[in-house]
Amino acid sequence: MTPDLLEAVRANLLTPAALFFLLGVLATVVKSDLRFPEPLYVGLTIYLLCAIGFKGGVAIAEAGLGEVWLPGLAAAVVGGAIPLWTYPVLRGLGRFKPVDAAAIAGHYGSVSAVTFIAATTFLGTIGVFYEGYAAAFLAVMESPAIIVGILLGKAAMDRTDGGAVVADPIGRALREALFGKSVFLLLGTLLVGFLSGTAGMQATAGFFVTPFQGILALFLLELGTVAGRRLGDLRRVGLFLLGFGVVVPLIHGALGVGLGYLTGLSLGGATLMGVLSASASYIAAPAAMRLSLPDANPTYYLTSSLAITFPFNITIGIPLYYGMALALYGGQP
Amino acid sequence: MTRYPMKLVTIVTEALARDHVTRALRELGASGYTLFEVEGEGARGSRIADIEEFANIQIEVVVPPEAAERILDRLHRDFFPRYAMIAFESDIRVLRSDKF
Repeated sequence: MTPDLLEAVRANLLTPAALFFLLGVLATVVKSDLRFPEPLYVGLTIYLLCAIGFKGGVAIAEAGLGEVWLPGLAAAVVGGAIPLWTYPVLRGLGRFKPVDAAAIAGHYGSVSAVTFIAATTFLGTIGVFYEGYAAAFLAVMESPAIIVGILLGKAAMDRTDGGAVVADPIGRALREALFGKSVFLLLGTLLVGFLSGTAGMQATAGFFVTPFQGILALFLLELGTVAGRRLGDLRRVGLFLLGFGVVVPLIHGALGVGLGYLTGLSLGGATLMGVLSASASYIAAPAAMRLSLPDANPTYYLTSSLAITFPFNITIGIPLYYGMALALYGGQP
Repeated sequence: MTRYPMKLVTIVTEALARDHVTRALRELGASGYTLFEVEGEGARGSRIADIEEFANIQIEVVVPPEAAERILDRLHRDFFPRYAMIAFESDIRVLRSDKF
């Protein structure tokens, strides 16, 4: 690693977001009785999704749709395509059952909003500009991979046995993927932000902007405990998934950064595209998979996305994707 | 007052199975159900219920004995292999048999 990159890793690890996450993990390691009530977790999730969607919508209004559609389309396509190559890798190299491979593949194509938010915090800390409308990429990347993953899994189930009796039919699965709470809130608040524009931002900044970093820190403290409680499951998922959860984000991160570069984003925007491609869903995708592919083992997809990939991205991954972008852009932001 | 014999079927399962289970109950002749959030430990490890995806629910339904049979059969065949779930029936007596 170059001194610059080491410095970036250090800067990222010292953001309140990363530190609060590690504090949460520590709480479970020392068996502290720290525990958030579930409604608070849900409340914090809703706040973060609304704030990020709203700010993104305002940024789209300010930049104009003409600038947003091409990278937005690229983001949605890459999200939907990721399961198409991770599935055969999981089948062939990982020796997973078709339905497990499909569920895991869907998680890695979908995205983690909190990883994205932590990346914007990191870029803000080191003073790198990024397109505010990048939240739109987050919104359009969440569903396609979940849908592709479910379709792959359904195809596999039809071939093996009629085990789909208790699974959601594909129509209900689609509705869950498109209108589940996280996608609905993100797309809905993007629209609200877009329509209310700069004036709307001025009216709500005291709520959506000023306390944002503090609330994010609180949420990550909770998420640290949630991830920490699953560390014991690492032993059960096997070495392959451990490696998969780190190597695959690196490949997808490079892919996303390149895509951001090709679609005309800034250095910061390309970093965010890399972060989104590299991240794996642990809120929307698990719920959708559990309902639509109940034969898939949740330990595999939850442990890999929540206990391996998420901590990796939030500590080391984000500055690495920034480093990739830096190399691609020739060190010129 | 006359009491009528009925069955109370109790199901403890993961929160995400909620819609599938309640749909099946209706289908198999239950006219309603009671649902609450619970936590505990069992064969599939500690169900810590810290976030929605890991939460657990208990569903209770009062039904005539034939319906209880159908419900437990269905749970055994379709749900037990896929979801973390326990289910059992108990003998109860109710005041208004036409209500169930």
